[in-house]
Amino acid sequence: MSIPKVVGIEQEYAISVKGADDLSAFHASCMLVNAYAQKVGIREPGMGVLWDYAHETPFQDIRGELFGRKTARDVTGREDNLLINAILPNGARLYTDHAHPEYSTPECLSATEAVACDKAGELILNEAVRLAEKILPQTTIKLFKNNIDHQGQSYGCHENYLMDANAHEACLVLNPGRAQKTLIPFLVTRQVFAGSGKPGAQFEISQRAGFMECLFGLDTMFHRPLINTRQEHHADPKRFRRLHLILGDATMSDFSTFLKIGTTQIVLQMLEDDYIASDFSLRDGLSALKQISARYDCPIEMAEGRKTNAIELQRRFLDLARIYCQSRDIPRVPDADLILQSWSDVLDGLETLTLSRDCDLEDDPGDLRRKLDWVLKLWLFTRYRRKKNLSWNHPQLKVLDLQYHNIDREESIFYSLRDQGLTEAIASEAEVAAFVDEAPPSTRAWFRSRCMQKFAREIYLVNWEVVGFDHGDIHRMVPLLNPLKGTRERFEEIFDKAADSRELLALIEKMGPQPGPR
Amino acid sequence: MAETRQVRQQKKKKGAKEAEDIPQVLATDKKKKLKQLDSFIENVLEQAGEEFLEEFKQIEGQ
Repeated sequence: MSIPKVVGIEQEYAISVKGADDLSAFHASCMLVNAYAQKVGIREPGMGVLWDYAHETPFQDIRGELFGRKTARDVTGREDNLLINAILPNGARLYTDHAHPEYSTPECLSATEAVACDKAGELILNEAVRLAEKILPQTTIKLFKNNIDHQGQSYGCHENYLMDANAHEACLVLNPGRAQKTLIPFLVTRQVFAGSGKPGAQFEISQRAGFMECLFGLDTMFHRPLINTRQEHHADPKRFRRLHLILGDATMSDFSTFLKIGTTQIVLQMLEDDYIASDFSLRDGLSALKQISARYDCPIEMAEGRKTNAIELQRRFLDLARIYCQSRDIPRVPDADLILQSWSDVLDGLETLTLSRDCDLEDDPGDLRRKLDWVLKLWLFTRYRRKKNLSWNHPQLKVLDLQYHNIDREESIFYSLRDQGLTEAIASEAEVAAFVDEAPPSTRAWFRSRCMQKFAREIYLVNWEVVGFDHGDIHRMVPLLNPLKGTRERFEEIFDKAADSRELLALIEKMGPQPGPR
Repeated sequence: MAETRQVRQQKKKKGAKEAEDIPQVLATDKKKKLKQLDSFIENVLEQAGEEFLEEFKQIEGQ
């Protein structure tokens, strides 16, 4: 039985530092984290909310001990913990991950919420840069929301989806063949709208496709898998699992992000309900991923030998999704109507898109450049390379590609295009700004956020699934094992009443269990 | 007072001309935006040339 697809996005930002030769990317990143933490009041004297690493098990594999690694987890001391991490009053996590500033959104219920929260991350990081540059005025820090440095390195935009434990076990652990028939073909082909594009030896529609090396796996920095099998569910594992995807591109366009998240939510719910009877298995999913990246409409081979292409395959998923979303017996996917309509419009547009043999954009009757990052880039690069007679591999195109992803709105090519009205937004500026300070109201992020806003002084550690209060001679842990609980509707009044965390916990005890299933 | 035929014809011609002008106005506006974009791009490349690319190398992430 399907459950609502609570979703979170983790974005590693590229960082460029000038003017301070002895300031490493790692330390610059930590500076950003702490400058912002200071601003939002969580670095006051006597305060020190730690990130709880005890619930992180990156070396345990859902497929069992044979696939995992018996490696001791590094213990992060208190000082390093505070240097690297900040749990923000909006329920998000801002931290340094392998020298990249990383913003993990709070848990969102809908694709539109995810778009707005992801964009809020950009505002937060822009503010962090401004604050850090005030501290070190001779330093210039730039951040880029992308996946490649054009020199062989890659970094991620990861997605996390809440899944029902039994369904997750059935599709991904006991019988991964089910995922190969459904989820993998979907993920391989969704880059036709979720790819953010890159120039190189030729133009490719995806930044990450070339870095994926296997279908299932534990690793994230090498042997990157389409489906990450890390056993780290950040919720009650008897009822919930976390599907962790690392293959997605970082997207600047609201529309690309919206479709990437929204379509995946629907497909996962269909998977949980065992709704997809068809076998969409590909002969070689990894090869197909790279082929599609090189040419969005290329023929790809199904396992049974038939040829198809990414657009046609995505249309099959859309056809199923349309009927599925009309069912009354399923949790309603938020924004389902908009997701389905947008999905359809984009596939129609892709079918009328015309590219030259050299991959220049010839015709875009569906106006996809207003919606999809890779098409917008293709339009821009075609224009520019024809003007200057540049090859796809020319360094100037790579510079433009990087600057497209610059999150500084004064310098970003993406935001310049948006200011010129050449691309559309889904989340309004007001919606994005709201998520800088507040969490989405309908997930556990709201509870965490309210704790940080009101009782940060009394918190000694936090994780996605726990808030730990320091009550002197005892620590009181509030488990947040159900991402769908801890909502504003249920707890706002209690938080308003409680003068401190002891009172909060006493009021919660009086409430009793939440009515309804789960 | 009823409009004369001449006044009606003049109004019709003016409306037709305005309708013809709209695509021109849009085209001019579009040209202006593209010019602004081109200028922005040139400025970006001036500020961040190929050395920017070399210095951009990142640590491998996840």
